[in-house]
Amino acid sequence: MKYSLDRNAHSFLDPRTKLLLLFTSSVFVVGNAGEKQMVVFYWILVFLPVLLLFAEREWKTGFAAIMIYVGSYLAGLALQHDLTALESALALMLYIITKILPTVILARYIVKSTKVSEFLAAMHRMHVSDKITIPVSVIFRFFPTVVEESKAINDAMRMRGVEFGAKKAAEAVEYRMVPLIASCSIIGEELSAAAMTRGLEVGKKRSCIWKIKFKFQDWIVTVFCLVCFIRWGIGWFYK
Amino acid sequence: MDNNNRLNAKDLINVGIYTAICAVLCCAVAMTGIIPIMMVLLVVFVPLLTGIPYMMFLTKVKKFGMILIMNILMGAFMWIAGMSYYALVVGTIAGVVAELIYRAGGYKSKKMGILAYAVSGIYCWANYFGIFFNAEGYFATRQNFGQDYIDAVTNMLPLWMCPVLLVADIVCGLIGGWIGTKMLKKHFEKAGIV
Repeated sequence: MKYSLDRNAHSFLDPRTKLLLLFTSSVFVVGNAGEKQMVVFYWILVFLPVLLLFAEREWKTGFAAIMIYVGSYLAGLALQHDLTALESALALMLYIITKILPTVILARYIVKSTKVSEFLAAMHRMHVSDKITIPVSVIFRFFPTVVEESKAINDAMRMRGVEFGAKKAAEAVEYRMVPLIASCSIIGEELSAAAMTRGLEVGKKRSCIWKIKFKFQDWIVTVFCLVCFIRWGIGWFYK
Repeated sequence: MDNNNRLNAKDLINVGIYTAICAVLCCAVAMTGIIPIMMVLLVVFVPLLTGIPYMMFLTKVKKFGMILIMNILMGAFMWIAGMSYYALVVGTIAGVVAELIYRAGGYKSKKMGILAYAVSGIYCWANYFGIFFNAEGYFATRQNFGQDYIDAVTNMLPLWMCPVLLVADIVCGLIGGWIGTKMLKKHFEKAGIV
């Protein structure tokens, strides 16, 4: 396989724009701020992440996301009146999917398309302290690892027959938690060593190999997010 | 590392790792909130479960600021995950208090560690503020949960439950912290990870 490095090979959006978009999305889509007045913005925010996925040429994930979203939205519409307890739980689940899926897709897009050094450099330019940016970038890097590890541990424990039964619940939790933390703390040690070799502790300004700057599309998204908040702010005074 | 009291990269990475573990656990537990009774019991289960990673985290804390950063991040995570900003505000304040408590124990004392954990865990309780103080607004956007669910949750959470939940949260925090120290002793100290 041929390997080459293109210094301009950053993703479609700037890391700062991505974070602003994530924040906007969590306020308006998950948090449902503004409700009725924000309907237009709501739907734009719901489908924007998918467009971003397409911009990164992740066709499959994008289409899958649309299918799941539309499917659960329609099913949610069907389940609205006179629900039994079971249907109510189902409706709740569908509701959670329709609320959280757009933001999850967005978060996934951000994690996949942003390099850690890119993120650190962008945050440094915004004068955000290292004390926040380093833990945040570690979380981004570590979240998938934790899920992966816990899946593997879960499989191993199931094979040994340690299940979430009524009697063994405490044991089941203990046998999953302890290996998870042990392996995570070891991975953490390795991560610290890796960070050391990358000069995270030197205390001087770090350079970044990728070019980071605001482009045309960044301005569009930023202005859109600001308009969302302004419209919401106006809505507070004029109902 | 000329200055020992400043947070270095290793500390910050530790903060990140344990925050990630706690956040994953919180997510896993919060999924069970679909059943109304579990929605209330979250305040019991989250402190019980995150106790183990948290006590492990406290063994790595030797400087001022780590608990605070972790609490701010957990609060911010709750906000992004669709709770309100209450958790961020309460979490930050609780983080400062927990930090001072743990410092009073010289960053070593296990009893102070358990207390610090119980205090810092109250961001979990703050997530219920939306239901207590703004129930109409909270459920207005959640109409399609079905009226049964809404009734069940509101009936279980009248206003007087607010202090009760706080007490429950802290007590469970103490128990969770105690379990955490037991686990550390049983598994990690022998294995030499701590």
